[in-house]
Amino acid sequence: MAKVVPRPELNFWERIYFIEIFKGLATTLGHARKGLTDPAHFPTVNYPEEKPELPRDYRARHRLMKRADGSPRCVACYMCSTACPARCINIVAETSPDRHIEKRPVKFEIDLLLCVFCGYCVEACPCDAIRMDTKLGVMVHDNRADFVIDKTKLMDWDPKDYPVDDLTSQSAPGGARHADALARLQSGSDH
Amino acid sequence: MPELITITVDGREVQVPKGIQLIEALRQHARVETPAFCYHEDLKVAGNCRICLVEVEGPRGFGFAISCHQQATPGMKVRTQQSSETVRLARKGVMEFLLVNHPLDCPICDKAGECTLQEHYMGQGRHESRLHDDVSKQYKGGADHRFTDGKGQDRGGKTIDLGPTIILDQERCIACSRCVRFMDDVAKSSQLDIASRGDHAYITTFPGKPLDHAYDLNTTDICPVGALTGKHFRFQQRVWNLKSVESIDPSDALGANLTIDYNISGEGGKIWRLMPRRNPDVNKSWISNRSRMLYQQLSVNRLTDGIIAGKDATLSDAIAAAVKALAGAKRVAVVASGHLTVEDNAALLALRDKLAGAEVFGGSWLPVGAADGIALSGDPVANRAGLTLLGIPQNLDDLAKRAGEFDAIVIAGNDLWAADPLKAAKLGSIPVRIVLDAWQTATVKQATIAIGIRAWAEIRGTMINRQERIQVLNACPVVAGPGLEPAWRVVSDLASLGWTNETQAFKAAQARSQRLAGLSYRGIGPMGVVLPAVAAPAAAAGVA
Repeated sequence: MAKVVPRPELNFWERIYFIEIFKGLATTLGHARKGLTDPAHFPTVNYPEEKPELPRDYRARHRLMKRADGSPRCVACYMCSTACPARCINIVAETSPDRHIEKRPVKFEIDLLLCVFCGYCVEACPCDAIRMDTKLGVMVHDNRADFVIDKTKLMDWDPKDYPVDDLTSQSAPGGARHADALARLQSGSDH
Repeated sequence: MPELITITVDGREVQVPKGIQLIEALRQHARVETPAFCYHEDLKVAGNCRICLVEVEGPRGFGFAISCHQQATPGMKVRTQQSSETVRLARKGVMEFLLVNHPLDCPICDKAGECTLQEHYMGQGRHESRLHDDVSKQYKGGADHRFTDGKGQDRGGKTIDLGPTIILDQERCIACSRCVRFMDDVAKSSQLDIASRGDHAYITTFPGKPLDHAYDLNTTDICPVGALTGKHFRFQQRVWNLKSVESIDPSDALGANLTIDYNISGEGGKIWRLMPRRNPDVNKSWISNRSRMLYQQLSVNRLTDGIIAGKDATLSDAIAAAVKALAGAKRVAVVASGHLTVEDNAALLALRDKLAGAEVFGGSWLPVGAADGIALSGDPVANRAGLTLLGIPQNLDDLAKRAGEFDAIVIAGNDLWAADPLKAAKLGSIPVRIVLDAWQTATVKQATIAIGIRAWAEIRGTMINRQERIQVLNACPVVAGPGLEPAWRVVSDLASLGWTNETQAFKAAQARSQRLAGLSYRGIGPMGVVLPAVAAPAAAAGVA
């Protein structure tokens, strides 16, 4: 059903047009003056030379989380690729040499040109292996193949870029109990 | 027609055959979905999972009874989950106990998506666990495999190599004993057993002995959880990414029913596994490991092009060369094959009729073994009954003797040189040897002109098994090479029959045998149809 939008009623000074024109021009000149005298508080950024600071929960480019030993935390369960509405995640699984982990990805690719950045993969992941908190909102490449990012690129991130106080955003998975279990595993008393 | 009795299910009166198990009466006749983990149609009843329980009226009113372990009796009054809150609650309780020690492995478990436990867990909506961290899971399985996981829990029994084909996960097992009963009663080789008791029960083989029976992969199908998984499919695909088509085993004259599970991925798709398909009159729920692995041959050593005089050629060039060679030949031997479908053999008969001075031979030099009583008849020629039906003689020895009479031979899907090289060597004296085959076989190597055809999984057609049952093979869209055509299509090109559809080939077969009259692919259906001894006169008149 069509919605009727009432037109604002113009008064006499608005209808004669010239006064409003100069009011608009005054705003423009005001911003121009501010840009010259006080550039630090300018409301826009010089994109693409300057990039806006994205919040941590902005759904940006993905990263794969790592275990303490640097291997991917991903167990190749295909939950993300199943949840993905754009079908941009391509996984090939293999048997992990660690029998306690069982399964790991031999190939993990995301086609960023297909990706719709919905974040379903992050929600579907049962082991917090994929996140979208890299703040990489802008991706520029000169050919299509470079937009398909593989396991290496997904795991190529620096722990320093993530909050130090949030341990789960760093490489150590699991929390306190994991540390215990890891210690027991390493001391050989787990059998 | 069995005698019918009346039972009352949820207040409804239902007619069921006398002597039927209550669970089957509920499922088939009362149309009440009844869960079961230990009960299986083709195994003996064990009654240990308790999930199929219903309320049955006895002398002291309604009480719980497991529906798999008793027969329906006249006047029996049954309450199921549809009318009884008590049944619903009791099943939830049973489910909770089954899940107590079951690991939350679903994301990395190959059974997820076709797991009976997962299905009923989802169905009953027991999404909140009452197991708190301090209670934790109980360790299950042999002492050798115990470990502490990343969350500090006592775990074990993972990834145990049972033998050449199967990996066992003792932790996922719910001790339904289906695999044990299968090995005991069907395979007749008791290689698996349940060790320990109660909460600690786990599946294992005897110490130092592997699980290595020719049918052992069937235990992975009947396993209601992911405890037994086949190495060939382990971590290959998630089952919800697979599609399936119904087909039959093309390597044996019993024609065990199976499904081809495939998916279409970037590189044209792949067949990932074959699964048995239940047909109570043919193979029950079983197929042999050998038949199950047939899919692996579909992508190796395939003849995807033509070969003319030892040089690679396109398919159309090879067909054109074959047409020319046949036109110049005076006496042509056409060798039909029991490895091909009824349609293909009908096309070969049409080729024989088209060529002046042509003669048809058939059969195989492969040895026939004994039936094993499960899902193999021992006869490797799957469509031998089809040859007989179409009136193709089984006289390859005759062909070898009279090889000198012919100046051209057409061999379709019959690897004569591999079956008996000595007898086949006599055929080497025939100057024009045209071979149609899906693989680069020994016979293809001997050909002057070879033409690639589609293999059994890539065509739609029919085969007749040794019970005289006609069964349909359906085409899986994953084809080894572009441009490959079914054998009947290539033969139709050789004989310029102009067939474009397999139904035309099937009609030609129907014209040759009255026993096929009145049948269609849809009419035959997934279970096959036993051919009548002689066709009904009216139906025969319709075809003639």
